[in-house]
Amino acid sequence: MSWLSTLAHDAEIAVFAAVGQHGLGLTETLGRQRGVRLVSSPRHARVLLVAGEVESAQARALERLHAQIPPPRGTVWWQAPRLFERGETVIGDDPGEAIRRAAGADDPEQRPDVPPHPWRGMGPHGQGGHGMMGGNPYGRPMAMTADDIRDGLTLDAYSARFGPFLPALPPGLVLDLTMQGDVIVSAAAASPPYPQGPEGDAPTLCAARMLRLMGIGPRAAHARGALMALPKGSGMRRRLAAWLRGETVTESPAPPPNALPGREWAEAVLWLASFPPSRLRAVCPEEAA
Amino acid sequence: MIQIAMPVVLAMLAIAFTTAIQRIARTDATWPRRAPFLGGGLPETHAWQRFHVRYYPMALLFIAFEMEMMFMYPWAVVYVETGVKALAEMGMFLGILSIGILYGWREGVFRWQ
Repeated sequence: MSWLSTLAHDAEIAVFAAVGQHGLGLTETLGRQRGVRLVSSPRHARVLLVAGEVESAQARALERLHAQIPPPRGTVWWQAPRLFERGETVIGDDPGEAIRRAAGADDPEQRPDVPPHPWRGMGPHGQGGHGMMGGNPYGRPMAMTADDIRDGLTLDAYSARFGPFLPALPPGLVLDLTMQGDVIVSAAAASPPYPQGPEGDAPTLCAARMLRLMGIGPRAAHARGALMALPKGSGMRRRLAAWLRGETVTESPAPPPNALPGREWAEAVLWLASFPPSRLRAVCPEEAA
Repeated sequence: MIQIAMPVVLAMLAIAFTTAIQRIARTDATWPRRAPFLGGGLPETHAWQRFHVRYYPMALLFIAFEMEMMFMYPWAVVYVETGVKALAEMGMFLGILSIGILYGWREGVFRWQ
């Protein structure tokens, strides 16, 4: 083994965690493990870790994440049934060894190398279209103007499906959002957050998740400024303060489709994180869109 | 000689530059990897869009105050010898600029975040 591969072997392994049912507590213990670094985007990851069961309806989303990790990449299914034939399954509490093995693996492509939406023009060869925009390039319409809910300026609205494995959102929550700039204009919950059991509502874990979103380290959490960094109103400061004192929060949020419009993205993400996952799950409709 | 050589050299440089840019800009990313990361979801519209630059009212406010100062310095120099006429002119000027500041106030530029 050359000195370069020895060095590489000792390096931290960048892991992107796709959290499934009852996987939130598991993932938090992983952050403390030596040699493993949790990253918040597949672009920076080496290994895709699926922590907790993911229902087969979300298999396509998981495949997309797998395809978004640059090769070479590996996959570990931690306390989760395999949804596609890559990587190995870990039943126990410690996926460390499996992650190290996966870091040496090189999974083949899981998604075909074709555009997610093929080009759909007007012409016989898929070319052209009406007006300046030229039809639907790659099957997706161009963003079109709509009234801004703040000041009525007509500006472009961007619609996309966020989740279920976006680290900023509670795991499993799928939101269909329309945004203008960073302001949410309309929201629909296509799928509720996964059940996380009582450990998902533990005050320390909830506080840690919220502080991570705010970019504040655990040692600075008790400083007065940590709470001041949250927007006033909507009870976010009160709930984070309760979690930091070690108390359980029992408040229920308003349903996201009613509560999210008008909020900025960063505020909306913090607002969602300021409720225990079980309470958020209770107010989201069960059926998938 | 140089009349022929210079265009040739320039043309070669242009070709080399174009080739280099092509090589640098070429991506070997697959289609799924070129999609934006939305946690497994896909966008329904293209990312090419126009949105409001919210610092625009603040820029207006800056110009309002800056213009004030820019004209007040030379005004202060001639104020004593010109007298009341200069005072009235400056009053009108500040009055007009104050409308801009009041407009900025209404737009919320004084709410520091």
